[in-house]
Parts: sequence; structure tokens; C-alpha cells
Amino acid sequence: MSEMANTDPEGIDAVRMTWNVWPRTKVEASKCVIPLAATIAPIRPHPDIPTLPYAPLRCRMCSAALNAFARVDFVAKIWICPFCYQRNHFPPHYAMISETNLPCELYPQYTTVQYTLQLDPNNPSSAPQLPPVFVFVLDTCMIEEELEFVKSAMKQAIGLLPENALVGFVSFGTQAHVHELGFSDMSKVYVFRGNKEITREQVLEQLGLGAAGRRPTAGYPKGLQNGFTNSGVNRFLLPASDCEFTLNSLLDELQTDQWPVPAGHRASRCTGVALSVAAGLLGACLPGTGARIVALVGGPCTEGPGTIVSKDLSEPVRSHKDLDKDAAPYFKKAVKFYDSLAKQLVSQGHVLDLFASALDQVGVAEMKVAVERTGGLVVLAESFGHSVFKDSFKRVFKDGEQTLGLCFNGTLEINCSKDVKIQGVIGPCTSLEKKGPNVADTVIGEGNTTAWKMCGLDKSTCLTVLFDVSSTDKSNAPGVANPQLYLQFLTSYQDPEGKTMLRVTTVTRQWVDSAVSSEELIQGFDQETAAVVMARITSLKMEMEEGFDATRWLDRNLIRLCSKFGNYRKDDPSSFTLNPCFSLFPQFMFNLRRSQFVQVFNNSPDETAYFRMLLNRENITNAAVMIQPSLISYSFNSLPQPALLDVASISADRILLLDSYFSIVIFHGMTIAQWRNMGYQNQPEHQAFAQLLQAPQDDAQMIIRERFPVPRLVVCDQHGSQARFLLAKLNPSATYNNANEMAAGSDVIFTDDVSLQVFFEHLQRLAVQS
Amino acid sequence: MAAPVPPGAPRPGANSQPPPPRNVNPNYQTNPNSLADNMQNLNLNRPVSMPNSGPRPSPFGQQPPFPQSGGSAGFPGALPPMARPGPPPGMMGRPAVPPTGPPQSALPANVPPGRPLGQPSGHSSPFGSRPPPGSLSSSTGGAVLPSSAFPSSGAPSGGVAPPMPGARPNVFMSSPPLTGPAAPLSRAPAGPLSNGPPAIVSGALPGASQFPLAPSASQPPVGPPLTMMSARAPAQAPTMRSVLGSPAVTSPPVQPMPSASPFSAVPQARPPPPGSPYGPQTWPMQPQQGAQAPPIPGSTQAQPPRMFGMPQPPTNQAMTTIPPAIGQPGAPLSGPSKIDPNQIPRPIPIPSSSPIVYETRQGNSANPPPPATSDYVVRDTGNCSPRYMRCTINQIPCTADLLTTSSMQLALLVQPMALPHPSEDPIQVVDFGESGPVRCSRCKGYINPFMKFIDQGRKFICNLCGFTDETPRDYHCNLGPDGRRRDADERPELCRGAVEFVASKEYMVRDPMPAVYFFLIDVSMNAIQTGATAAACSAINQVISDLPEGPRTLVGIATFDSTIHFYNLKRALQQPLMLIVPDIQDVYTPLETDVIVQLSECRQHLELLLENIPTMFQSSTTAESCFGAAIKASYLAMKSTGGKLLVFQSVMPSVGIGALSSREAEGRTNISAGEKEAHKLLLPADKILKTMAIEFAEYQVCVDVFVTTQTYVDIASISVIPRTTGGQVYYYYPFSAVSDSAKLYNDLRWNITRPQGFEAVMRVRCSQGIQVQDYSGNFCKRIPTDIDLPGIDCDKCILVTLKHDDKLQDGSECAFQCALLYTTVYGQRRIRVTNLSLPCTNMLSNLFRSADLDTQFACLLKRAAIEIPTSPLVQVREQVTNLCINILFSYRKFCATVSSSGQLILPEALKLLPLYTLALMKSTGLRNDGRIDDRSFWFNYVSSLSTPLAVPLVYPRMFAIHNLSTKEGDESVLPPIIPLSSEHVSDDGIYFLENGEDALIYFGSSVDSSILQQLFGFTSVDEAPAQFVIQQYDNPLSKKFNDVVNVVRRQRCSYLRLTLCKKGDPSGMLFFSCMVEDKNASGPSYVEFLVHIHRQIQMKMS
Repeated sequence: MSEMANTDPEGIDAVRMTWNVWPRTKVEASKCVIPLAATIAPIRPHPDIPTLPYAPLRCRMCSAALNAFARVDFVAKIWICPFCYQRNHFPPHYAMISETNLPCELYPQYTTVQYTLQLDPNNPSSAPQLPPVFVFVLDTCMIEEELEFVKSAMKQAIGLLPENALVGFVSFGTQAHVHELGFSDMSKVYVFRGNKEITREQVLEQLGLGAAGRRPTAGYPKGLQNGFTNSGVNRFLLPASDCEFTLNSLLDELQTDQWPVPAGHRASRCTGVALSVAAGLLGACLPGTGARIVALVGGPCTEGPGTIVSKDLSEPVRSHKDLDKDAAPYFKKAVKFYDSLAKQLVSQGHVLDLFASALDQVGVAEMKVAVERTGGLVVLAESFGHSVFKDSFKRVFKDGEQTLGLCFNGTLEINCSKDVKIQGVIGPCTSLEKKGPNVADTVIGEGNTTAWKMCGLDKSTCLTVLFDVSSTDKSNAPGVANPQLYLQFLTSYQDPEGKTMLRVTTVTRQWVDSAVSSEELIQGFDQETAAVVMARITSLKMEMEEGFDATRWLDRNLIRLCSKFGNYRKDDPSSFTLNPCFSLFPQFMFNLRRSQFVQVFNNSPDETAYFRMLLNRENITNAAVMIQPSLISYSFNSLPQPALLDVASISADRILLLDSYFSIVIFHGMTIAQWRNMGYQNQPEHQAFAQLLQAPQDDAQMIIRERFPVPRLVVCDQHGSQARFLLAKLNPSATYNNANEMAAGSDVIFTDDVSLQVFFEHLQRLAVQS
Repeated sequence: MAAPVPPGAPRPGANSQPPPPRNVNPNYQTNPNSLADNMQNLNLNRPVSMPNSGPRPSPFGQQPPFPQSGGSAGFPGALPPMARPGPPPGMMGRPAVPPTGPPQSALPANVPPGRPLGQPSGHSSPFGSRPPPGSLSSSTGGAVLPSSAFPSSGAPSGGVAPPMPGARPNVFMSSPPLTGPAAPLSRAPAGPLSNGPPAIVSGALPGASQFPLAPSASQPPVGPPLTMMSARAPAQAPTMRSVLGSPAVTSPPVQPMPSASPFSAVPQARPPPPGSPYGPQTWPMQPQQGAQAPPIPGSTQAQPPRMFGMPQPPTNQAMTTIPPAIGQPGAPLSGPSKIDPNQIPRPIPIPSSSPIVYETRQGNSANPPPPATSDYVVRDTGNCSPRYMRCTINQIPCTADLLTTSSMQLALLVQPMALPHPSEDPIQVVDFGESGPVRCSRCKGYINPFMKFIDQGRKFICNLCGFTDETPRDYHCNLGPDGRRRDADERPELCRGAVEFVASKEYMVRDPMPAVYFFLIDVSMNAIQTGATAAACSAINQVISDLPEGPRTLVGIATFDSTIHFYNLKRALQQPLMLIVPDIQDVYTPLETDVIVQLSECRQHLELLLENIPTMFQSSTTAESCFGAAIKASYLAMKSTGGKLLVFQSVMPSVGIGALSSREAEGRTNISAGEKEAHKLLLPADKILKTMAIEFAEYQVCVDVFVTTQTYVDIASISVIPRTTGGQVYYYYPFSAVSDSAKLYNDLRWNITRPQGFEAVMRVRCSQGIQVQDYSGNFCKRIPTDIDLPGIDCDKCILVTLKHDDKLQDGSECAFQCALLYTTVYGQRRIRVTNLSLPCTNMLSNLFRSADLDTQFACLLKRAAIEIPTSPLVQVREQVTNLCINILFSYRKFCATVSSSGQLILPEALKLLPLYTLALMKSTGLRNDGRIDDRSFWFNYVSSLSTPLAVPLVYPRMFAIHNLSTKEGDESVLPPIIPLSSEHVSDDGIYFLENGEDALIYFGSSVDSSILQQLFGFTSVDEAPAQFVIQQYDNPLSKKFNDVVNVVRRQRCSYLRLTLCKKGDPSGMLFFSCMVEDKNASGPSYVEFLVHIHRQIQMKMS
């Protein structure tokens, strides 16, 4: 399997592309079926990346950074920008440059370098160390028990924060309470009513922060001037070391929302107002510096802006069906509200993290826009006591190995060769609407720009950039054209320590005239990436396009792809073969069609939104697991080995470990389960059995440890009710329709879904049709 | 002890006992020292001075004492008094009362019910329950005299005065005879007084000067020159008698009533002045004594007060003529010169050592009530006490024409919760069980003594609508031979004019509300810096212990500047949690629960919080005030229950809902530009607050506003809220933390502890032929027939104007029934029903004879107050004058028997009407030179003003205090009253003038420095502090002065805002502007005014 073979497919650049050689023309590109796309994890750490303590040289024409692909005239001290061919003189401090004395960024192996930037180059020491800022927004409409869980999680988190981290606290229920932590005489709280939309200006004014007139210059945050001059910081945001005691005692006294809830009604919960107030507070105190709003939400918003459902319990929270039929009266309004909140946060450079824990939906689907645009984290759990929440939450604040490496205030800029156009980006970012010659006419995702804001990003954050090639195939007279195309990704951000960093990744790929040779093209195909990109595009289209039939669209594309790249005789299905470079792709599509991303009706809109957000921000490997879970089998007979994702892999004497990203299932075959129930593993003579039982547990823990959000671990036995978590993901090669054919100890899946085999048969038939 | 006694509760019956000591101090601080301090302030009594003759003997006597440390002790350092801004005197509640001075006997706890006993000296009286008078006097140091003391006190004081002593006459006979006999001596002079032909002299007082003749400048203004008609003589008599009531005692004073007998018969004649209902006896006595004393120089200071005109004449038609003196025979009076100023009618203080006993009905007919300001004890024999309801005319004209002819107004002044005299029987509570009280099925009138049972008791005829109802079976009773039900005397509702019914379920739309007190305090920069916040917090802190005990008492607190700060007082929290409502355009309450919690649960948090508030906002730089938003938010917090919202406000509301602009400045320009719209400034700036107020009323939130300010705050706009919700405005301008804190505390305390009710609805029903035209006062009216009173208390009075819709039968009776459905502070739903049945008459002369001066004037005053904001001032003044002229003209034309056109003839009952009218014209509200806020406050104050306080407001009482008698053992009290004329103010005197709300202390320019030293602790007028705090020094004069002040406070139920006035200073001008008999910028002199009236009448006649 490819992932086994290549443990680091992204390499130093953390870039993967659907096609690693690019067709020259638009027409050719469209014939490729799978769009040209690159995924990049902008700040993925890699041991080989050098960090340079100076600022990069920029091309004076296109402002691309000097990179290893630039041609350098050491004599004239000139470099030629590979993107625009502009000749640039080296500045005086590069006078020492020579073929044997290259600056780091010109080393060919350093296609990715990192720069530390100082605001004031003349006085490096003055660079303010921006502390991270956390505003906790805590829901109080929950049962005591849940509130206790979340309070203790918060206390733990506060204890984990660096001492200089600034902390603010907003609690909400029927109304939103902003706690003035800096008021020493007594606990002091600003109360905002929950049922009224409040503008940022009103928030400022009402918190007494408005008049000061320190209006940051509009537009992009330049970072903070001169430390914190502003009183709001002292009143509402305090260093963790100063307010830990206050906060802890405040949390101790914090009660569930005291407003009465009539029987048969939902608690009134003004999530929307609380978030806008928190956003306003940050906007007033720390515009432009990295800050996160950590929202801990225990139920749906029922009050004021952002409401997703009425208070009447007899009305259920909207389902996909309701959304489809346009029968969700609150949905659009709420989305619009969160969209404007997202805009505000983005303009301030702040992040919204959402930790939702409830049995019912809480409105993740509506809030998605705000979380995703700001690059926030999202965790959906059943309870604040559940490990999915507890461990994930702890992970956010914890230092060390497993730290998420939360960074703030990122901006991604992309430079590319002349004929390359950018359609847009799918992933946790917002378009900055920076137009340029490389902007394509068609937009997919966050487009119309060559720069994006990522208010929050971490080391695993991954974006998908969709490209187009310019259609001017005539103008590219062969020979004149450069055979290589270049892409440069510049990511500036504030790292967890408060330093401003800039990472420059420059990659090159080859143009190919596919009309002449499709072999090269085929060799450049990355099936895994292609599958993930297709999944992301499908998700996007399902959200954006009315009446989009995802399954059909995927089938059509797959058939076209097979028609184009398969080897077959027309109308002879049995003659069909596919190049190994494509061999896995149909199976990915088969599983994608059956996945939660396409079959949304099995999930709530909240879950779907959650899955999609993670799909969009995870790296290719993880995203591929979401689409096509990995299955490992453990038995006495062999070492742990990958098993087919098929019901046939179930066997009474095996343990299966399924990793579907969101959940990890340890499935004990019947016999194993019986042995375990009889306690053989505790007998010294059956130590091997104990080890067998333990092995999947250890592997599961390993996966869990490295994953955020922490997946749900399901341990189940064959024929147990929880076994559904496994069965749902398996290829139904054995169903009740053909139960009599199955082997003993195996299992059947009660479904009418087609099996992979049937799918392939159809595919072959259709692919070869003339 | 204070605590224990619930204020509202019981009626004062309890009091009857010895008066509680009022003096206890109230300082607020608990600690003893403070108490002591306060005490001083309050109670200094001073000996009575004699009015007239300047130097009465007594004065001197006193001097000797030097100021004692006593006083000083109180204030340790200079300011001692309040560290905080003015904390008022400690609570009285606190036991420790150190009676400084006087030995008081123990304070009876029981005394005043709600009031704390130990009042600090200061406020004692007002608030305290109305303790019996005695207490007052004694109270110097806060100690209280036992009641018993009191009576005696009167006497004793007089050590000199002979009569007094024992006197407490129990006897009051109403009968005239008594009077006569009794005090021959002293009164002798008095005789003259009576208006009657004899001079009206005030003679009494001065002992000497009695006669009109005497031009006594110095003398007290005695008598009115005019002779009173026959009436007068009697009139006096009455007074006396009333006084007499205690005849025995007083008798001495009493005099000789001249002919009087006729009149005298009627008790009523009491002069208004004396005042307070409660404390009654005591002081009244004094005057008396004084009076008697006259003869004896040395004797008490008490000069006999001069009595000026008498008050009402008794039954007979009395009239007062201003004789020829005035006019020339010819029409035009020539000048004032002709009138002897000493003979003009003036109020006569009633000397009486003990209250008159007044039976509301005698011989099955209504008995005209004594003057509202006199001291009387009511025996309810069918009609309700006049304290609850009195009519402008005690006989009802049969036709509208007759009323029109008289030019008088027909109106009721209803004060349904009025404080009874301590020795009156409490109102009885009748419980009809589930079925509720028996009512007329047509008009819904409540069963009352005037319902006539017929048909062996099986039916009854409603006295209001005339409908015949079936008697409910279980209420049936046979009739006796006299046609009354046999059980009539056992059933209060059948024999008493005032009863309370227990309300059954059908009178409740919800459970009776708990007693909710929500305090809202301004903490804007200005409030903090002037000490207003600290004063308010301290006052609240002390008052907490006076709130009704029990689980039904809920409290809440909030502060505001440019935002509103609520406090979660829940006990579970370690400390209060401050909840800020920052949206002041669209407010809300931050919590549904926990903002208002049971007092018992949050007392500690509350106290802690109140201590912290002033420091917590110490460094606030927020100058803005969101008053409107703050009260709205508080209302929202209280919405589910309703309750009292007490707001302490210091600056003009400048932001948020209902923000106001400083329109006074603009207004000034307008005024100078032309007066046309000047009165607009007295109208609310907009409707926002009014709309809010109506909403408040709907949810039973009663708002009181305490304005502690240094600037214009637009009371005209703000006052709409208290007026509509049954609350009131308290105004401290310019606020001084030093001198006003004590008053703030006392006002707040009285506000909370006085008898009161919540969520009330009131309706007045009348017999057929008469109907209610309109109500006016502090309430909200949503339907024409009823008024909603979110709060109603003993001080609130409602004017109910009446009109004819048919003829009445001569000889029949016309009944009025006021029903007040309310919830007590303990959560019982009650219906207080007060009935008044008055005879109807076709005779104009009966109307004049039975006119009730105090009520008429109160009605006139209130109507003028209503007009002020809506009409040009000139017009209002003209209306007031014309009303007076028309009444007198009508009398002159149709009733006067005297033929000489040169005489100004006044109906005896209304002979002071011109004086009061003149005083009204010169009052703050009807002058246009005053500050807008002062005028706004004035007419707001008037809107709920009770009848007994109406006259004093415009015609204050003035005493000389530089020569208060200091005789040993002379404990009593008020010195004689001096007419309000600068002739009576001498340069070497010190005068105390009070109108029930404010008090001025005026120093002549050459006051003896030792007197100053004794009274005030400084030796020269120039050293007089701008912010005055009364203190008691250890010398008799100072004690006496404090006693006087305390007596007055008690009578007025008000702490009085004391201001020092110096000649040649703006404050001096203020004082002289109260000399209503002088000619000044705002009007003619009294004599000139009479001449003017006379001329107008003559013109009409011709």
C-alpha cells in the first residue's frame, strides 16, 4: 500500500498534488477529470527546515520570495525571479554571495525555509512577545453534572496555560455575562441580554471600552502597538498567573443558568450573543494579535441571533431532511449571523474554537462558517465528561510532544507561474480578496484572491488549493515556454511563543503535453490525494449547490476517468484494466460514496458539518482514512496485518482494529470474546492470548494519542450492538441475500447496498461503453 | 427595639401609652458615640421663647449655662458627626440611647409601632411613631420621657403656669361651658382675642399686649384688627375650649371667653396651627400654658400665643368683619392705613394641653370636624375620622346652583391610611370569611352604618344608590325597636365610619404581594464626590433593620452611573456578585432570581455591600447618569412581584432611556424673551418617563426618588414617575453631606416604617345626586372610576372633586364611601372602607357656616398646583385671587347681614382665607423668581400633601428661640407663634420658622453672642456655618431649642431641613420672603391685600 511504502509523502514541503505533472492546456486539464489541486500543510514541522533570522528577499515585481529555483548571476549580484522573470539586484547585505557561499534559501534542498520576522528590523529586541490570548465562553445551561465536568476541564486548562497568557471569561445562558476579572472589590459581571443582536460598537461602548478612541486602523491588524495600553486589557483580560485564583473561585461559584425553564422547553441559551460579545471584547482589547475564543457549548442556541431552534421541545432540531426541504426556519438566518461574526473575527485576526458536547445538536452546522473561516478547532462530543472532549480539550492547552502547535494570525500567499490560475482554497481560511493575474475566473471555495487569512492554524492544518491552467494554449509556443511551473506558498504567522514567522515553500512541477504523452501524466497521478480532493469538492458542492447529486457526480467522474485512462476494448467490459497508478482510486470512490460525507442522511447536520470541517483541514493521509478506514487484523496466526475492508475480514478468532478517524473500533471475534469473557488472558499459560488482546489496545492508544480531536474508542464484540460501528464501514460482500455462501465464523451485513464487486462490474461496463 | 415593631402594622393604638421617647437617636451609627452626637442634633430643645416682648424674662435665666461638652462630645473632632456623609442619627432602634441630657425615663418600647423608639434625637418625632406628645418634649437627649411625663410636662413646664399641670384634662368637653370657666385668668387677655368684637388680639400672648390697639410692633401680631363677628369671640372660646378640652388643666388659660358661648359649643374651633395630630397634646399644651402665663411674667415663657383670628366659628354662622377701620364708609377703602394691622384675622394657635375629643356623629347627625391642624382625638360614632376623609363643606348643597352661587368648591380630601392619634381606637378588622364583605349588588357599595335595614332585617337599602338588596342569609339579624339591627353596635361595619374588611379570594388576582424593597443608588462621579452615595448607603444600611421581619420581606439593590449595576445577594455566594447591565437604551434585568432575595438571607451581604459601595466607586470618573434606564431595569427586576423602588439620585439623567437635557438654561432665555411658554419647563420634557411610569404602576411598582443634588435635575420630568406610582419626591438642594444626611436617613426611615399598603385600588362612591368628578394626587388612573396606587401610605392625600348630577333632598344625608383595597406589608389583602355621611342643605348660609377652612385651602392649593405647569403664572395667580374674592363676595352679597358697605365682611369659617390666599400667591410655586426645580418640587409636593400640612406650607410657623424659657422643670414646648411679618422680627432675635418640610433659623444682626454660644456653639453670626447640623449643648437654652425642634419634627412627621439665615445674606432674603404679610416683590402686604379684596367685592356689589 502506498502509505506503507512512503511514510512521508509530503516531504519537507508538505505539498501533495493530484497530478504531479501538469497538462499544458485548459482543455487537456479538463480531460484529466480529476482537477489540478495541491494540498499544503503550511506550517507542518519538519526537521530539515532551516529557520533564518532575517527577512526574505522579495521580487520587486511579483513579490515572490527568493528561493532555490531562482537563477542567480553571482557576478552581477542579480537573481531572476522564476515566476515573473524579473531581474532583481541583491541588496548590499547579500554582497558576500557566491556560488560557494549561498544563503540558506538558495540551497536546492531547502525548498522550504522559515524566517523569523521582526516588526522593527532596527531594534530586534523591541519585538513584543505577544502572549497568547484565550477568552473562554462557557455555556451554563446544562445539568449540574455536565457543568461540573466542564468547569473542571476549564480549571485544568487554565492551570496549563503559560503564565503570561491572557485570559478572559464570558459565561452565558439566557444572557451573556462578561466577567471583569480585573475588578478586585468583588466579582463583577457585565450582562448582555441574550435576545438582542449587538453590534461590535455597542459591545465596546457598553463595556466602557469605546470612548477611548483607540480604534485600530482598519484592515489588517498590524499586531499590537506598544504592548497593552488599553484599559480593557487590564479589566477583562488578565495574565493567567494573575487571574487563576479569581477564575477558579469564580468557577466554583458559577451556577447553572438561573433563569427558569418552563416544562417542555429548552433552556434559553444565547450562544450567538455570547460569541459576539466575546468577539467585540477581543476586538476592543487586542485587535490584530492572536487570540482565541474558546466556546464550550452544551446545547443549541435558542435565544437571540444565531438561534437554531425554538425553545419548544416539541420542535426537533433541524435534520438534513429539513434542510433539504427548506423546512429549517432558523437555519439561514443563523448562518448569516455566524457568517458576519466570522467576518468580524477574521478582520480582527481572532479564532473561534468550538467545543460542543451534547446529546442533541448544538448548531455546529450553523457555526461551522465561523469556526472554519477563522481556522478554529472543533470538537463534538456527547458529554463534557466524555474522553473525546476531556482529552481533546486538554490537548489544546498542553505543552510538549503532543501539543497542537497552535499558531495565530496566519496569512497565506501563493505565487505561481504565469499560466497557472488559482480557483480557490478549500480549508480553514478566508479569502483576503487580493486580486492578481493568477486569479482564475471560476471560484471554488475561498477564491478571488492570491492571499488568505488563517486566524488560527496548527501544525496539521492543511489547505487544498485548486488550480486551473490558462486557456491560452496557442500563446505557449512550445520551446518558448518554460518546461517547469513554479508554485510558492508564503505563510506568515505568530507562533505559540509570540514570534512572527514566515515560511516560504517553493515547489516546481513539470508541464507535459498530455495530448502527446499521457503516460507521463499517468505516472504523476496521486490517487490518495485525488480521492481526498474529490471528497472535499463533493462536500463543498453538496453544501453550495442546490440539489447536487453527489453520488451521481462521483460516478460520472469515475467513469470518465476510467474511460480516459483505462485500457480496454470498446464495449468489452472484460477487457478493462487500469494502470496501477489508478488502481486504488475506484475503491476510494466506492467508499466515499458510502461515507458520511456523501450519505449524510445517517447523520445530523451537526455531525456532517463536523466531519466536513475535519475532512477539509486534515492532511491527506488522515483524510483518506476518513474516506476509507483502515482495518488491521490481529490473530494468533500472523502478525498484525492490514485486512480488507470487507465483511469477509470478520472471523471468530480475530481481533479487528478499525480506524475510521472519528472513531476507533476494536472488534473481538466471537471466539476471542468468549475466551476473554472466561478470563483466559489472566491465566499465565495463556499469556499469548493476553498479548493478543492487548496489541490492538496499544495500537489504538497510539493512534488516539496523535490525533486531534481525540477519536471515540469503541470496544465491541462480534454480534454486539456496538459492532455496528465496524459493520457500517465494511464492504457488504456478504449480505442476507447471499448469506448461504459465507464461510463459517464470518458475518453478514444487513443491507441492500451494493458490494464493491458489483460496483466494479458496473464501472467496467460503463467505462468501456462507447 | 425598633426592629421588632413592625411599622406598618398596628396602629398606633399602642402608642397610646406613654410616648415613646422619640429622642433616641437615630444616629446612624450604631455606636454609642455617634448616637450621642446625633442626639444632640436632634433634640435640642430650647426653652420657649416668648414671642412678643422680646426679652422675656425667661431668656435670661437660661443663659448661664455654657455649652456643654455634651454636645461636643458628639462630635468629636470637628465634623464628628458624620464621618460619612451624613449619617443620620443612629438608629433609634439601637438601644443605646444615651440620653444625653435629660433624664428621660425609659423609653417605652412599645410606643410607636413602626417607629423606632429611640429615635435619635433628631428625627425622632417625625418618624417615630407619633409618640405621644409627651415624649417629645422630653426628648432632649434622646431620652424619652415617659408618656406620663408628658402631660405633666406641659404643666410643669409651666411650673409657672398654673393651669397646666394636672391638667391633662381628660375631659374635653366639647361643651363650651367648660372653657369659659376654666381659665379665667390668663386668658383674660385672651378674651380680647376672640375676634369678636373684642379685639382679636393676640393679646393673649404677650400677656400684655393684647389689644389690637396696641400697635405692637414688637408684639406679636396679634390680633386682627378686624373684629370678628360675634363669632369670634366664641371662636376663641372654642379654642380655648378645645384646649380646654382639657379644661381642667388648661383651663386657666382659657379664658374668659367672652360671649362666646354659642360657638364655643362647638369644639371645632381650634386654631389650626398647632398641629400635629399626634403628638398633640403636648405641644398644644404648651402654647396654652404660655398663654396663660402671660400674666405672669416670669412664668413660663409661654406667652400666650397670641391668637389671632380664630378659626372657625362654631356652628352659628359666624362671620368676621373687618370693620370700618378699613374701609371708609365709602366704597374705596382708602388705604391700608386705615386698617389696624393688629386686628386683621390671623391664625390662632391653639393652646391646649390636651386634645379635644371629637365624636364624628352626635345625635344622629354629622358633627363638623375640628380644624385639620388641631389636636384632637376622634371617636368614631358612624362617620369616619376626618383624618381619613374630610369635605370642603360639612353640609352638602342640594343643588349645583347653590354650590355655584357660593363659589366654593365641593371636594373630599381623602387620606385613607392617615395616622390616627395614638389614643384613638384602631380601625377594626372585620372578616366575612370566604364570601367577602356584604355589598350592594347594584353599586357595589360596602356595608356601612348608613345602609338601612328593613323588612325585619331581610332587606337593606343602599345609602349610596338607593337599591334594595336582600340581606344574605347568614348576615340576617332582626331589627330592634329603634329600627336598627339589634347587633348594630356589635358589628363595627354597622356602627363605625371606618372599618377594614379582610379581602376574600375574589379580591385577589394573585396572591398578595410580598413586601419588596429595591434600592437604587446613583454612583456617578458627582454623587460620590458630594457624599450623596455614602449618605444613601449609610441610610439604607441603618434602615434595613426597620424593614418588616419575616420571609415575605424581599430586598434588592442596584447602583447606576452610565451603566446599571445589580448585585446578586444570594447567600451561597461568598460575596455579592456585581451584575452590570450596560445597554441603557434597551434595558433588561440581569437575573430573574437572586437580584431580589429574602432579607433574612442576604442581610450580611447587603450590609457589606452598602459599606463597600462608596469606596468601590471612589475613583469613578463617570459623570453620566442613566436614571431612566436604571429605574426601568429595576422595575423589570421587580416586575413579577411589584414593590417599592427607592431611588437615590444626584445628577440629571444624561444618558440612556429617558435622558433629559439641561433645559433650564434654555428656559431662562425663553423667560427673558417673553413669558409665554415659561411654564413649559414645569411640564415633563417628554412622554417617555410617563409611559414608563404607567407601566410601573401596572405592575405595582411604587417609586420614591430622593434627589440629593447640587444642580438642576429636571424634577418636572423626573417627578412624573413617583407621582404616577404613588410615590413621592424628596428633594435635598443643595445637598450637603454634613447637614442633610440625617434628614435623608430619617426620611428614608419614615418612608419605610410608616403605615402603608401596596398594590392598592381606591374608589370613592357617593350618594345619588353627587358623583366623583376627578381624583388628583399621586396615583395612576386607568379607568375613570378607580385609581391605582402601587403604594399608599399614611402621608398621601388624594383630592376628590365632586359634582352634582341631580338634586339632593334637603334634610337628607349625602354619603361618601371610600374603599381602598390594598395589601399590607405582611401580605394580607384588606379593604379599608371609610364612610362619611353629611347633611344636605338648601341654605347658602349653612354652606358658609360649615365650610372647612383647612380643607378648602388644601383644595385650593392643590388645584393651583395642578394649574401651574399648564397655565401661565399670571393666570394661575388670578384664578386663586378670584376664587377668594368670589367666595367672599358671595357671602357678602347673600349672607352678610351687616349693611355697611364700607365693611369687609368675612365668613367666620373662612376669615383666614384671604391671608392664606395671599400666602399662597407668595409661595414658591406661584412666584416666578424661583428655580425651576424648586417650583417643580413644590407643586409635586403639594399634589400628595395632607390637609394638616397644607396651611403650614404657605403660612409657616415662626417662633422666637433666643428667649426660650429655661425654667427648671419646664419641659414643654413650643413657644408662641409669631405672625409672619418682618415687624415681628427684631435684630437681636433668633427665629425658627418651619413649614413642615424646611426650617429656617434666622439670626438678627445683633444677637447676643452668649445666646448664640449656647444655642449653636459659636459666638458671632459671622461664624455661622453654611452647612448646619443642629447640636445639643449642655445648657438649658440649647436643650429647650432641641426640644422645640423635636416637637415640631414629630408633629410634622418630618425631620425638617434646617438652614441658617443671616441678615444681609441671600439666606436672609430667603427668610424674609417667608414673611408673607410683608409687602414684597411677589405681592402686596396683608393689609393691602385685604383692601384690594374689599375693593373688588365692592366693585362687584355695585
